[in-house]
Amino acid sequence: MGFWEQLASNLVFGILLGSVYGLATMGLSLIFGVLRIVNVGHGAFLMIGAYAAFWLFTLFGLSPIASIFMALAVGLALGFITFYSVIKRLIGAPELSTLLATFGIGLFIEELAKLVWGPDYRGYSWDTPYISLGISAISFSKIYALLASIVIAFLLFMWFKKTKLGMAVRAVVEDKEGAMVCGIDVTRIYALSFALGIALTVASGVLITLFVPVGINPYMGGEYTLKAFVIAVLGGLTSPWGAFYAGFIFGLLENGSYTLLGLIPDVEPFSLTRFIAFTTLLIILLIKPTGLLGGEEM
Amino acid sequence: MRWILLLSILVVALFAGCAQQAEKPKATPAETPAETPAQTPAEKPKPEVVTVVIGAPLSLSGKYAKEGQMSLWGVKAAEKWINEIYGGIKVGNKVYKIEVKYYDDESKKENIPSLVERLITSDKANFLLAPYSSGLTLAGAPIADKYGVIYMSHGGASDRIFEQGYQYVVQTLSPASKYQTAFLDMVKELDPDAKKVAMIYEDNEFAKAVFAGAREHAEKLGLEVVFDKTYPKNPTDLTPILSEMAAKEPDVVIGGGHFADGQLLAQQMAELKINVKAISILVAPALPSFYEALGTKAEGIAAPAQWEIGAAYSPDAAKELGIDWFGPTQDEFLKLFKQFAGSDKQPSYHAAEAAAAILAYAKAIEKAESIDSDAVRNAMNDLDFMTFFGRWKIDPETGKQIGHDMVVIQWQGGEKKIIWPPSAATSKPYYPIPTWEEKDQGKLAVPE
Repeated sequence: MGFWEQLASNLVFGILLGSVYGLATMGLSLIFGVLRIVNVGHGAFLMIGAYAAFWLFTLFGLSPIASIFMALAVGLALGFITFYSVIKRLIGAPELSTLLATFGIGLFIEELAKLVWGPDYRGYSWDTPYISLGISAISFSKIYALLASIVIAFLLFMWFKKTKLGMAVRAVVEDKEGAMVCGIDVTRIYALSFALGIALTVASGVLITLFVPVGINPYMGGEYTLKAFVIAVLGGLTSPWGAFYAGFIFGLLENGSYTLLGLIPDVEPFSLTRFIAFTTLLIILLIKPTGLLGGEEM
Repeated sequence: MRWILLLSILVVALFAGCAQQAEKPKATPAETPAETPAQTPAEKPKPEVVTVVIGAPLSLSGKYAKEGQMSLWGVKAAEKWINEIYGGIKVGNKVYKIEVKYYDDESKKENIPSLVERLITSDKANFLLAPYSSGLTLAGAPIADKYGVIYMSHGGASDRIFEQGYQYVVQTLSPASKYQTAFLDMVKELDPDAKKVAMIYEDNEFAKAVFAGAREHAEKLGLEVVFDKTYPKNPTDLTPILSEMAAKEPDVVIGGGHFADGQLLAQQMAELKINVKAISILVAPALPSFYEALGTKAEGIAAPAQWEIGAAYSPDAAKELGIDWFGPTQDEFLKLFKQFAGSDKQPSYHAAEAAAAILAYAKAIEKAESIDSDAVRNAMNDLDFMTFFGRWKIDPETGKQIGHDMVVIQWQGGEKKIIWPPSAATSKPYYPIPTWEEKDQGKLAVPE
């Protein structure tokens, strides 16, 4: 396989991976955008989604595509529960309190998952057709993941722009007092936004298993939390749409740079890809400190 | 009301904490003999029962939780065998009983030095078990060595641990450099035409040591290493590196690192339809969850293992080699293991190697007739014996394990079989393995 073929194939896989990264970050950005809370326990919710896909498939043979809807429902419920039990008390609290609280929630969920499901690395085999690309191949499950994340992002976008509730959320972001004066129940909007953010994160956990159906374990979320933070910052932190685009950029950089780095003799290209991805982030932030879509809030 | 409730919970928790603190020194009487009059028959002189504390940082949470839990069960089984079935280690008028004191290291390197120090200074551990993995083992080694306490590696295979000049670090499992050598020997023997080897592995202490050893061995066997690249920790997507590897058209692939990446490697080779004659992946395929996760895609995939249920180590095998046997037989170990792990659990090699480390301590104390660190360390230099885990003999200079041998396992028809070396094998090797397309159609790697 020639250089260009390899680059092209890696860029294609980069786009596919990026779509999953994008959706996995939208929840984080949404919660920060509305509540100004950094959800450090992000990865734990994502892990719940991955397990949901695994269990629904293994126990009931449910297609992971259908699991996305289940995950959204589970995520909403989980989000409301977490909001009313913990987060509600932390609105307007100093950053350290919210960081500690969300960190604690994350740990709690991970350890609970380990207690209930055990520390095994799980996975499922959902056989889908594949498209042959000469020497490599793309399985349909990855394409489904791409489509699903675009559809979910689009629906969310429409919800924010067109529905009353969506507008109420935007109103709260823009001017909390003003929204209150207009009779919007700010706490309810907070609860809803938080739950939506969690639902997106849990759903993206399902998408991750569409991309990689193995290695599902209670601590799998950590890696994605780190990447999600980077992608969120890249996208402007408060903007879910920015996060979605930034996910694609990150995926492309991570996979695409591999081929280019492979041209340098005596380096381990894979270890450098992350370096390149993070360096690009720094450069973008130097040029545009507010992130790609920074300032352009919901 | 709420505040009162909260306050009272806090007060109770505080008291509980204090009570535990107060109890701690009492709970670990390291050197003080404990009286157990009920156990001693009246006619014999009452032996003095001395508790030997073995301190262990174990990964009970975090990314090595799986291996850590297995280690703990193995340790418990060995402890029970020594104290109850063997009746303690009898030296002169003393009976040494083992007590393992452990803390959860959360699978984090940065926790190890302080835990090791705490085990030595405040828990008065006489001996130490190193934590799981090479990285964590390395983190604690200088502390143990500084205090002159023996630090037995049961999950740290990297050769580099034993190249630092430590006096008190010894090893129970085979060193990393030996992990993939048996597999390469097998390929060489089965197929003289297989020439091209690809190596694709995680960028970590352990895997690097494994593949440095593998490269050396491959070249010695006259094989050509056509691809030798690493991927970073916790990869999400191996497609780029795998497509580059596929372009080199290797005959066999050896690779891996730990659990998640090992599963990912097999899964993505299947997705990209990269067909080779044989695959050996570190760690991941050695556990049943590998087959559960990958299904028939796992067929034919091999892995090196320190130990496997069915490995032919027995008192008779020891006699044949002219060495001592020590510890429970495999069946006895399985029974003991299940008492702690539950009857539905099977030990992985992590449990066996941890148990063997404890047994080696007992054997060495018996030989040294003392629990003095230097005496036991010296006694270890002359030990050559066999447990259910295999042979135990260290290089006196470095403490590196040289007696123990690896086995190669392969998934055949949903079962894990030992295929190499022939003396320990429970099945013939299946070679070359079915292609991914054949496996999709349900072909299994079961030899006739």
